[in-house]
Amino acid sequence: MTRPRRSLFLKYFVTLFVAVVVPLMLGAASEAWFGYRDQRVHLNEVLQVESRSAAERIQDYVDGIRDQLGLAVQFPWIQGQDDRHRIDALRLLQQMPAIVSIALVDQTGTERVFASRLSLNRIGRGADMSADPAFVGARESKVWYGPVRYQHDSEPYMRIAVAGNLASAGIAIADINLKLIWDVIAAIKIGDTGHALVVDDSGRLVAHPDISRVLRGGAGSGDFSRLRSVVDAANGAAVVTTGDDGKPVVALSVRAANVGWTVIAQQPVLEAFESIRAALWRSLALITIGAFLAFALAYWLARRMSGPIQQLEDGVERVGAGQFDHRIAIASGDELEQLANRFNQMAAELAVSRQKSERIDRLKRFLPQQVAELVEHSEERLLDGQRREVVAIFGDLRNFTGFSARAEPDAVMAVLAEYYQAVGAVITRHEATLIRLAGDGMMVLLNAPVACENPAHRGLRLAIDMQEAVQSLANGWRAKGYGMGFGVGIAMGPATVGTVGYEGRLDYTAIGSVVNLASRLCSSAHDAQILVDAVIAERVKDGVALVPLGKRMIKGYDHALQVFAVAHGDTVVGYPDSRPQRPRLEPAKLAV
Amino acid sequence: MTLVGGALAWPLVAHAQAPAKVHRIFWVSTGTRLDPFLEAFREGLRARGYVEGKNVAFELHYAPGNPEALRQVVSELRRGNVDLAVASGPATRAMTAVTDVPVLFAQSGDPVALGLVKSLAQPGGKFTGATFLSLELAGKRVELLKDIFPKLRRLAVLSNTDHPGEQSEWRATREAAEGLGVVPLYVPFVGAPELDKALAAAGDARADAILVFPDPATLAQATKIAQFAVKQRLPSMFGWSEYCDAGGLMSYGANQRATYFWLATYADRILRGEDPADLPVVQPTKFELAVNLKTARTLGIELDASSILFRADKVIE
Repeated sequence: MTRPRRSLFLKYFVTLFVAVVVPLMLGAASEAWFGYRDQRVHLNEVLQVESRSAAERIQDYVDGIRDQLGLAVQFPWIQGQDDRHRIDALRLLQQMPAIVSIALVDQTGTERVFASRLSLNRIGRGADMSADPAFVGARESKVWYGPVRYQHDSEPYMRIAVAGNLASAGIAIADINLKLIWDVIAAIKIGDTGHALVVDDSGRLVAHPDISRVLRGGAGSGDFSRLRSVVDAANGAAVVTTGDDGKPVVALSVRAANVGWTVIAQQPVLEAFESIRAALWRSLALITIGAFLAFALAYWLARRMSGPIQQLEDGVERVGAGQFDHRIAIASGDELEQLANRFNQMAAELAVSRQKSERIDRLKRFLPQQVAELVEHSEERLLDGQRREVVAIFGDLRNFTGFSARAEPDAVMAVLAEYYQAVGAVITRHEATLIRLAGDGMMVLLNAPVACENPAHRGLRLAIDMQEAVQSLANGWRAKGYGMGFGVGIAMGPATVGTVGYEGRLDYTAIGSVVNLASRLCSSAHDAQILVDAVIAERVKDGVALVPLGKRMIKGYDHALQVFAVAHGDTVVGYPDSRPQRPRLEPAKLAV
Repeated sequence: MTLVGGALAWPLVAHAQAPAKVHRIFWVSTGTRLDPFLEAFREGLRARGYVEGKNVAFELHYAPGNPEALRQVVSELRRGNVDLAVASGPATRAMTAVTDVPVLFAQSGDPVALGLVKSLAQPGGKFTGATFLSLELAGKRVELLKDIFPKLRRLAVLSNTDHPGEQSEWRATREAAEGLGVVPLYVPFVGAPELDKALAAAGDARADAILVFPDPATLAQATKIAQFAVKQRLPSMFGWSEYCDAGGLMSYGANQRATYFWLATYADRILRGEDPADLPVVQPTKFELAVNLKTARTLGIELDASSILFRADKVIE
């Protein structure tokens, strides 16, 4: 038996597995996608809030310095009041740690007071600063912010100049150490490792939580201006780029408008998308668990499906091979169990039928082959009533009535036994059907219920054999003084054949004029004579020599029928089952 | 989850692994063993999660007032024995020969001029740390002294010539003093043993006030110097507030303890593997003006009238 190309197990298994795993994966994928989108939005908001807050704090810080400087230029320069301005300047230094030095310049651009944390203070008319960009800028727009520069190429400094409301109040120019903005920027934490940084327009780093980055001066400003331009290009939206530390970050920028700096808030990508990654890991874990479960479940179900089917297949194979006692044990509680039960039932029935068949086989030895076959191939239709052409043969003993009246019953029974024995053997040999035995008479049918070839020949041959067999008995009987003979009539024609009777007793019989004719011919036959009707005579004319006896009136027929008798010493030729034996019919008895 | 866990766990792991590795820090100073700077540095390390004896161990080397004496131990410095060397003040001068151990310094001189670093922004070698900008402050101290004591004409300047960059400091002081119409009287001495002799010389100089350069050798003798100044009725000016604590009248300069405390962050970064060549030398942003009111009263100086008190960051009463 060839194995199926794709086993049921594999089909079920794959289908069930896919049915579980695919929805899981789709779920995980959609969760990841929406999670990513939400996180992007969330991240944008967080970075915006943080960078705005950082920008605001830095602006506030710078504004604070500006306001304090404004206080130093509230009053006009009056002769002899330099010392008051000096105190103002010193107090400013005391108040604002970021201010390293402050110069108060009168409206003509002449430095009047200079106070510093490091250098010596100066008081009185000093250098002419009227051309200083700080002085020019502040006079034009009240407040002037200078560019960021690195002192000793390391510390970031910037100058701020503020003009008083009165032109005569002059201008305060302060040198600011931007390192102190560190306090502002270091306080900004985005997530665990995110931070904010401040870059000016030329890419100089102004503030960074790692102060040493700032103190490196111009080094690395290329990186920062790249970062600034990339993040600026996004117009306030978060972008993924390479951060200042060379690692991928999500960054967003906001302008600190007053000083013209850019505040960049950035968070490492690793951390920013951590929640998504966590969700992905969760999904992956779920998928893995799901896949395992699906695998186990699919395996179990597929086994449950294909196992019984295999058992059934195996069972069918065994039963087919004749092992009828094989039973399939499936306890799945479903249709398959039902199927197995049906199968078992079938196997049991098959076993019974086989027993029957075996019994019939045994029985066949005792039955005529035709009958046995009839039983074996019990085609009901064979025995059904139907009209067909049959050969009817009637035979009976002559003078039997007288003999039976005279003779002892034992002798009668012995004669009958001998007679039936001989006739039965002939009937069996010719595979004809014995319809009825009635005392010394009998009726034999050919071509029904089992069809045979050339029934006319066969029937005539049977009749000749039968006559010969009985004649050889009759010789013995005559010697005993019984004086009995045997006559046979044979006719062929259509008849209704079928089973008649009632339940418990059924007979197969033929009804029709042909039966009648054969019976009449038998009655009119002399001892050792075989009378044949015209149909048979016509059929066997080339094989058996027949003697026409002319037309005779037969009872039941309203016109005379042509009757023939088997010729004495006739040779049966062309008959398939012809035997070398010849009927030894006495010529005298052939006389009509 | 795993990755955040990893990120969070990293410092913990670093700390957890620390016991396996005890960082050895080599501390050299020309001060005395009663070292406020070492204490500040230790505090800084503790704030960074280091525990002495567990993941950090100090090897202390003191040569009070004598940097040359340190050269021998310093010459034995090798990577493997020591993870980091910290030179306090003039001891840095003894470290110049070190090539394979990172060295942190905290000193008043210009590290570029001393050849320790290529530039403040990018030291480029094994050395980095903090510089106190003493040179610029030298003039400022004279100015403050003049502010509080306007009658100042003759100023004794006590200087340990062993101190690196001492000559520059003296030059800056002299120029500032001359600019302010003060005659500076240079009283040099070499190392702690000569201090008494120097004080005697300063006493004989007919000075109106005394300026003492900040230096571990003079810090170690701060009380003695302060008492000497009071006895001589000389207003005194120092570089660090520790001198005021010891009875000096005034001091102006960076907060030493804060600087050493901060230096621990650089120590931490270097111990974690950062290259000192990339760590810029840090300059102080805040300068402390300390005034000892008690000493002022003893000297009969009326501070209320001057513009000093409102500028003082630290007033000792």
